[in-house]
Amino acid sequence: MATARPVVSIYNFENPSEKTGTMPMPVVLQSPLRPDLVREVHRDMAKNKRQAYAVKPKAGYDTAAESWCTGRAVARIPRAPGGGTHRAGQAAFGNQARGGGMFNPTTIWRRWHRRVNVTKKRHAVACALAASALPPLVMARGHKINQVAELPLVVSDGIQSLTKTKQAKEALKKLGCGEELQKVIDSKSIRAGQGKARNRRYVKRLGPLVIYNEDNGITRAMRNIPGVECAHVDRLNLLRLAPGGSFGRFVIFTEGAFKKLSDIYGTLKSGAPKKKGYTLPRAAMANADLARIINSTEVQSVLRPKMERYTHGIKRNALKSKELMEELNPGSTERRAVHLKSSQKGTPEYDEVQKKKKARIEESKKYNKEHKKGDETFYKTLMKAFEAKAAADAAKKAAEKADDEEDEE
Amino acid sequence: MAERYAISKVNVPEGAAVPELVKMKMEKEEKLAEEKKQALAAKQKAREEERAKLKERTVAYEKEYADTAAELVKLRREAKLNGNFFVEPEAKLIFVVRIAGIMKMSPKPRKVLQLLRLKQLHNGVFLKVNKPILNMLKLVQPYVTYGYPSLKTVRELIYKRGFGKVSKQRIPLSSNDIISDALGKHGIHGMEDIIHEIYTVGPNFKQVSNFLWPFKLSSPKGGFVNKRHGYCEARGGDWGNREELINELLGRMN
Repeated sequence: MATARPVVSIYNFENPSEKTGTMPMPVVLQSPLRPDLVREVHRDMAKNKRQAYAVKPKAGYDTAAESWCTGRAVARIPRAPGGGTHRAGQAAFGNQARGGGMFNPTTIWRRWHRRVNVTKKRHAVACALAASALPPLVMARGHKINQVAELPLVVSDGIQSLTKTKQAKEALKKLGCGEELQKVIDSKSIRAGQGKARNRRYVKRLGPLVIYNEDNGITRAMRNIPGVECAHVDRLNLLRLAPGGSFGRFVIFTEGAFKKLSDIYGTLKSGAPKKKGYTLPRAAMANADLARIINSTEVQSVLRPKMERYTHGIKRNALKSKELMEELNPGSTERRAVHLKSSQKGTPEYDEVQKKKKARIEESKKYNKEHKKGDETFYKTLMKAFEAKAAADAAKKAAEKADDEEDEE
Repeated sequence: MAERYAISKVNVPEGAAVPELVKMKMEKEEKLAEEKKQALAAKQKAREEERAKLKERTVAYEKEYADTAAELVKLRREAKLNGNFFVEPEAKLIFVVRIAGIMKMSPKPRKVLQLLRLKQLHNGVFLKVNKPILNMLKLVQPYVTYGYPSLKTVRELIYKRGFGKVSKQRIPLSSNDIISDALGKHGIHGMEDIIHEIYTVGPNFKQVSNFLWPFKLSSPKGGFVNKRHGYCEARGGDWGNREELINELLGRMN
């Protein structure tokens, strides 16, 4: 986003409708937005204020229980020794036993805290600050900023010297935070869950975060206003800037604090003067407008044109579809029509076929006359063989008869 | 390629101010649309020429088939007339169908079936008859049935179940363009060219047969006799060479 930095108006804390001056926006507030980073860092940072909990070290094991082993018609679980009391012989030690220890007892040496890289933490804060300068993000987080003149909201330094809560409340209301403060008051309700019995009885929404440079009473003035938190610009806390891991807290800067942001964070080129070795995060893409990049001449000029996809449709059977057959086999319909016509009487095709048939029959007759006459035909040669056999049989019979007659005589 | 440009229409509401980028896009699309129109016209012209040529070739093929058949008849008659024997020409083309499933297949026949592209039950391929192929078939005899397909069978298989291998995909032969693009360099531009090349086992048989994806046939209507036994056994069976009688089976499987 290498554009000229926008200019932010500074509002008079007593009379917010008038502006006492302007200031260019610090580069921090133009950091790239990384909700994933903020969420991750918040998650880990929030673990650092935890207090350990665990069951007693000896819980469930403070008996001299021993298993009775087999052979006594009872389960093999360890049992409390002795006699004369109900406790004797009762099961002990196991998580299934009454009065036994729990499965996998909670321990105090659980890793409660997480360390986060310093640069990561700093990047997250820069990101959260940047988000607080964007109305859509602040509104999305749930803050009521419709009456607020400008975001980021910068107020003249006089507000740092307020001592009375009443005055502070007036000032905030005049700046347009009335709806926001009312939202906080309305949201006070009893906590759901056991927390209510553990000194965390009430929950309410968060209101604006006032970031100051010099505390001349402002912390004490703002302290009792429900929802309002104060922070010194040198010590910004991600857990305040992005409560719950969601960035876009409604932030009110004082003039001094706003100016100091540039001193603390510097620019991308100069690095951060007050944070050793740290430079503000850079965006992964200089120009994140994908549509513009894709449609630019530089890209479009080297693209090949978009092509239609090959569609093959449903496979049809050419043997059934005449159109498809014509498509695949040009002239087939024509030939088929001719073929069909040749069986219709009266058409020239029919006559043609009949002519050919006649010629074929003629040819056949001629062939037969030539080759299937006289004694050389198949039939005649076959019968000749039979006749020969018949003659031989007859001769044999005659010979037998002659013999018989001779014998008789 | 220009025929396939995807031209997107930009809807501009009446009297609206058109952004710079949209204007540029519209100009570009116009130019592409022009190119596309010209390419389509050229393609149409080429297509008509190609179809006319294909028509001529088809008529020539039909004549060729009829002539070869008539020639055989003539030679048979002549032989009988002279009291000679006519030695029928050996088959040049066989169609092989895989009969056996994929379970419990020994490695050697399994490999041969893979090489023949018979990877699934009832898959069929056209093969040229030569010594190496016949030796391969010997190895897989009990798992396939094969024979000499007639022209009618070849036509019906290719028209009904013809799919081509286009960039490793199984694409239906729904248009002669597909064939032309794949086999144009071998002079084969249409269905009838494929059928002719297959049936007459021409010089480009290998390329054409390989272009054709293995035919996926149905199980035969009316059933097999007995897949566990050979066709030529007295008790009846199905595997092995059934010569001309493959046509009857394929008529039921196609």
